[in-house]
Amino acid sequence: MSVLKRVQQWATFARVWHIYDATWQNPFASAELIKKYLMGLYKPIYHPMNDCGDHVIVINSAEIALPGDEWTKRVYFHHTGYPGGATWTLAWELHTKDPKMILYKAVYRGMKGNLQRRHTMQRLHIFPDANVPAHLLGNVSNQIKQLRPIPKRLDHMDPEVVKNSPKIFDYPKDYIVR
Amino acid sequence: MSNSHLFLKPAFITTPGQNGVGRYVCQLQRVVLKFCKSHGASRGMREFIESDLINFVKNSPEVAVYLKPRRHRSPIIKAEYLNGETQWINASNFTQEEVLKWLFLVKSQASNRTGIRLRKLLHTDHPSIQGPWTPYLFRDPKLNLTTFPNEELSQADVQDETATVKLLKLFQLQKIEDLNEKRAE
Repeated sequence: MSVLKRVQQWATFARVWHIYDATWQNPFASAELIKKYLMGLYKPIYHPMNDCGDHVIVINSAEIALPGDEWTKRVYFHHTGYPGGATWTLAWELHTKDPKMILYKAVYRGMKGNLQRRHTMQRLHIFPDANVPAHLLGNVSNQIKQLRPIPKRLDHMDPEVVKNSPKIFDYPKDYIVR
Repeated sequence: MSNSHLFLKPAFITTPGQNGVGRYVCQLQRVVLKFCKSHGASRGMREFIESDLINFVKNSPEVAVYLKPRRHRSPIIKAEYLNGETQWINASNFTQEEVLKWLFLVKSQASNRTGIRLRKLLHTDHPSIQGPWTPYLFRDPKLNLTTFPNEELSQADVQDETATVKLLKLFQLQKIEDLNEKRAE
C-alpha cells in the first residue's frame, strides 16, 4: 500500500466527533438522531460490517424534556437477580439519581440488540452540564442541530422586552405565584 | 447474502493475465472422461463418446481429452486447468446433452468455481475516478474556525412563525393603527 493510499484510508475511516446540546430536547427522539451519528449511518461508506461509527458528546443531559406526563408515568425496571430484587423506578426518580441515565438508556434501547451495540455505546459521552473535559472538546468538529427550538422563559428575558410586550391579562391582586 | 452462503469461500471475479483482452488462451488443459462400458449410469457418457466427442475435440484443439474405461465405477468428468487446479464432476446418470453442457462449462472457465460466493457481481479496474469519500468532503470551511459548542449551529430549524412572533406582529400593527387613529382625530 502506497503512502497516498494509506492516508486515503485514514481519511475515509476517520472518526468525527459531534456535539449535541440536549437542553429542552425529547431524549427518545434525540436517541434516533444520535444513533445515526454513533453508528455512522449517514456515511455513504456505511456497511454493518465496517467500523465507521463516530463519537457523540451530549451536553446538558440534566435539562432534557420528557413529553406529556412521562416524568411520572414512565417506569424503569431493574432486577438484581436475587428473589425480591425487582425494582421499578419512575423517570423523575431515575433522573434525580443520575441525570445521564435516561438519555443513555434511550440511545441504548434505540439500537438493535446485537454484539456491536455495547461497543457503539462506548462512543457516546454524556455530560449532565456544559462542563466537558478540554481533551474531549478539542476533538469536536461538528455540532448536531437540535430537534426543537428552546422556549424562552419569562424570568430569563430582558425586562425591557417584557415591558414592551403585549400583556393579555393582569393577575388578580390576591393571586399567589408559586 | 443469506445464511446458507456464510460458509462459502468468498471470491471476486478474476481473469488470469487479462485473458480475452487482445488474445484468448483456453484455461482448460486436460479432460479425462471416466466411464464403464456396461453400467447403466454411464449410458449418457457412452452415447456422448459415440456421437458428439469427435465434434467436441475438433472444435477445441487446445484441450487434451482422455478416455478411461473402468469396470462398474460411476462416470466422472475430471478437468485440469492451466493454474494447476483439478475439478471432479460426478456424471452419474447424465444424459448425452448434460455431459456436453458440463464440458462446455469447464472449457469456458479458468478454475473450479463451485463452493464460492461472489463478493461482487461486477469488476472494474478503476473503481472510482473521484477517489473514495471522506468525512471532509463538501464540509463547510466555516466549521474549521468555530468553537464548539456553538449556540447558533445548535439551533433547530424552525420553518413556521411561532405564535409568539405572530402575536408580537399583531401588537405592532395595532400600535400603528392606534397612532393613525389619533392623528385622524
